Amino acid sequence: MTSDREETAGNGRINLDDNTCPTREQRANGINAFKGKASELVDKARKGELRNCERDFHQNSGCILNFYLTVRVATIRDAVMIVHAPVGCSAPAALYREVFRRLWTSMNRAADFDFHWLTTNIGEKDVIYGAADKLKFAIDEAVRRHDPQAIFILTSCASGIIGEDVEGVVTEVQPKISASLVPIHCEGIRSRIIQTGYDAFWHGILKYLVKPAKKRRKDMVNVASMLSYTWQDRAELARLLGKVGLVPNFVPEFARVSDFEALSEAAVTAPVCPTYTDYLSRGLEQEHGVPYFLYPSPIGIANTDEWLRTLGRMLGLEDRVEEVIKEERAHWIPKMDAIRAGFEKVKKANGGDYRIMGSLGQGRLVTQTPFFHELGVTTPVALCQDFDDLLLEDVENLLKRVGDFDIVVNTFQAAEVAHTARAYNPDMVLSCPFQGSAYKREKGMTRIHALRGDGRGWSAQAGYAGAVACGSFLLQATRNRSFQNVMLAKTEDPYKDWWYGQPDPYYFHRKEAL
Amino acid sequence: MTLTLVTGDGGRLSAKEYPEVAESPRFTCALGGAYGAALAVFGAVPILHSGAGCGMANAHGMTYASGLNSGGSAGTTTTPCSGLIEEHVVFGGEDKLRRLIDTTIQLMKGELYVVISGCVPALIGDDVDSVVAEFKDRAPVIHVKTSGFVGNSYLGYNQFLDAVIDGILRPRAVERKLVNLFGVVPNQNIFWKGELRTLKALLEDIGAKVNTVFSDFGALGALERIPAAELNLVFNPWCGLEAAKKLQDRFGTPFEALDFVPQGPRDTGDMLRLVARKLKIPSRKAESYIAAEEKNVYRYMEYLAEMFMISMPHAFNAVVADSRTAISLVRFGSNELGWNPELAIVTDDPPEWAVEGITKKLTEGLEGPGVPRVLFDYDSHTIRQELKAQPLQVILGSSLEKYIAATENEAFHLSVSYPAYDRLIVDRCYAGFRGGLNMLEDMSHSFAGPL
Repeated sequence: MTSDREETAGNGRINLDDNTCPTREQRANGINAFKGKASELVDKARKGELRNCERDFHQNSGCILNFYLTVRVATIRDAVMIVHAPVGCSAPAALYREVFRRLWTSMNRAADFDFHWLTTNIGEKDVIYGAADKLKFAIDEAVRRHDPQAIFILTSCASGIIGEDVEGVVTEVQPKISASLVPIHCEGIRSRIIQTGYDAFWHGILKYLVKPAKKRRKDMVNVASMLSYTWQDRAELARLLGKVGLVPNFVPEFARVSDFEALSEAAVTAPVCPTYTDYLSRGLEQEHGVPYFLYPSPIGIANTDEWLRTLGRMLGLEDRVEEVIKEERAHWIPKMDAIRAGFEKVKKANGGDYRIMGSLGQGRLVTQTPFFHELGVTTPVALCQDFDDLLLEDVENLLKRVGDFDIVVNTFQAAEVAHTARAYNPDMVLSCPFQGSAYKREKGMTRIHALRGDGRGWSAQAGYAGAVACGSFLLQATRNRSFQNVMLAKTEDPYKDWWYGQPDPYYFHRKEAL
Repeated sequence: MTLTLVTGDGGRLSAKEYPEVAESPRFTCALGGAYGAALAVFGAVPILHSGAGCGMANAHGMTYASGLNSGGSAGTTTTPCSGLIEEHVVFGGEDKLRRLIDTTIQLMKGELYVVISGCVPALIGDDVDSVVAEFKDRAPVIHVKTSGFVGNSYLGYNQFLDAVIDGILRPRAVERKLVNLFGVVPNQNIFWKGELRTLKALLEDIGAKVNTVFSDFGALGALERIPAAELNLVFNPWCGLEAAKKLQDRFGTPFEALDFVPQGPRDTGDMLRLVARKLKIPSRKAESYIAAEEKNVYRYMEYLAEMFMISMPHAFNAVVADSRTAISLVRFGSNELGWNPELAIVTDDPPEWAVEGITKKLTEGLEGPGVPRVLFDYDSHTIRQELKAQPLQVILGSSLEKYIAATENEAFHLSVSYPAYDRLIVDRCYAGFRGGLNMLEDMSHSFAGPL
């Protein structure tokens, strides 16, 4: 079975003869700003009326290299990452030796979490004379030091603007070494939409690493895991797949190079986040005939059921999947019921409703709202980092399931998020842990997710165990907000008062379309 | 004394053709250093004229690397940034910056706005100075003309100070006994907030007046007050000296290069004696204060001495840190704890002229027969090879050494230098009389315990 999304935009053929992917703007009309009803967003997207916008006030939001390819590629085992850039572009990867070792080997963490990377440390001379020789030296050094299976070369604004011929270096050096060279064109200036960076990464993987399938592994499921899902989420998905008789091939985090090479042998590519996985899924189908599905992600009880059922349908395991779902539901539904009951009490004390405002990537947009419904809470507005046509069908499905809702697309813009939070005044704001002063609130606020290095069951979000853990976590977050209140009272807000006194979070958007 | 300049695999094996090509260097870029310095001025709002990821890279790779700190109220996603993309590369980014400064002044509370320009405007030739000048009647705005490729974060700290001197400072009447503190580099020195607080308290206790420049409230005032100092103190063998020299030229303020932030009573007392002499503070006053503090510290030391003797006495130790941190730690370990310093790896890439002086500071004036072998390296791979090559019981380094220390050296490890992702440091530090006690509190519980 293959995808039924043939008519969707962004479904053009992936051209692996090209050095890299098109941008999300080019491929799928990706946009960086929208506010209105979800129905209106879908309508405008269908008519091709959505446009990127230029912000006169713009805040740190991450680029296609640093949101966050460096910290992800650096965790690929038996590989070396070379960041062809000035020294600061790879600074986030300095956590590579530390954070993931906090996961115990007793939690099935492989003992060889020993990652390696290099920066070419582009300097003043290099921007004048070029740095190709330095890149070649870095490749030699990577081989000499670590004898890796693959070497990933990540580009930067600086390498792009000075016109570094990375492909030329790869063509020249590849015949001389056994490690596969994988250039990834993630110059920060390429795109306003950070998803372009992930497409660029998958383009490199598809072009240079995935090998023709020697055999088809009927039990293997490719899963592209996300930065914001934890170790327990991987464990939960592996557990569920295991019960069905399947094994996950998790990439890119903590994978071996051979896991990438074998992506072509899988029975199916399954999503955790549809737009993150999209390019890889399409490419594996196009080049190697691996079928895929993009919706739903295994977040929340009903979506997890459907995720498993879709796998079951695609792999002829319907009966086994139904057994598993039955067993799992028997175990987890009573726990979800208890959480719902908890929220009923909270709602009663709160005047009948409890409204949670969630935010973050496109993947969470389509999973969070149904999950909130499962908990019995409502959401006044969904915040989304960016939006593109790849998500259209999912949002349409969502509209059918939960009705219309407000949506704000804002690429992580902190002042706009702060304004939106004030305007909607929900009972709880869920925010990225790195979102400035979002924790200063009179009403509730908590983190929307933990990260890869967090091994606690408490922080899980995926599958059935994650739905229960996350529901419990949110219920727990309603109990005491002294930290949020104290910080609100005792520290200053970074923005002047007039900002909140006027109605438009997009006050500083240029009105003319780009 | 041994001095090996490491430029390749283990230093002695081969010279690297491109020594700057390195695994996880111990600093970020100059833009990052300037950004970190601007964030350290409480009340300043940095404005990055750069790609959209430079601020996020330096949140995760600089402030979080500095003891898991956010950048404060104007840091992480709050920092304004022009988010340059290809069309700006083609058409220029000046208009984008003009609008960003204008809207930032409208929207964000700030005493001072610091425009920091990165790789993209440097490569496409934006005239940032002219754009910044347009705002001179509206708000205090300065420009740190830097980039990611011009150097590392230590350079960025110097460039920030340079922009402050050129953009803000005017001659002031000298305030008697006022000193400015330089050389404690925000973020690169992971204990910077605590160190500045501690140094200020120590110096005030002997009768000096102190402008920490960074970290205090009333930031613009602190910067403007810099020329009023009677003396500038540079707690670093090289970084910050450039600013001190420029201040001497511009305002006639003399400076004292103190090389390092003292740790423990011995070096702290010596530092205070020196400053007292320079500021003509009566030595009796300083001496009575020093004596009282010393007595107190060693009295407390008795509470922990037994556990220290069980857990890590006369350890063979290595220090992997920036030059000033390395000097403090080697001296305190050797002169007060009875440790045997084996290896000092200096990670801040000091300029050529400073290398000999740093080496001397790391090898002279130490108790015991042993002096550390001194290496200058920031390549985490070659540093690892060096550590592996010898038996060590204590490694004071960065979190890059944490698991290496445990698995390859069986050594105790404590993060004292950048990057430090394994501990949260707000204003804890190892400076001053009690600094050694603080450090021993953080380490002597390991391998120790009652019967």
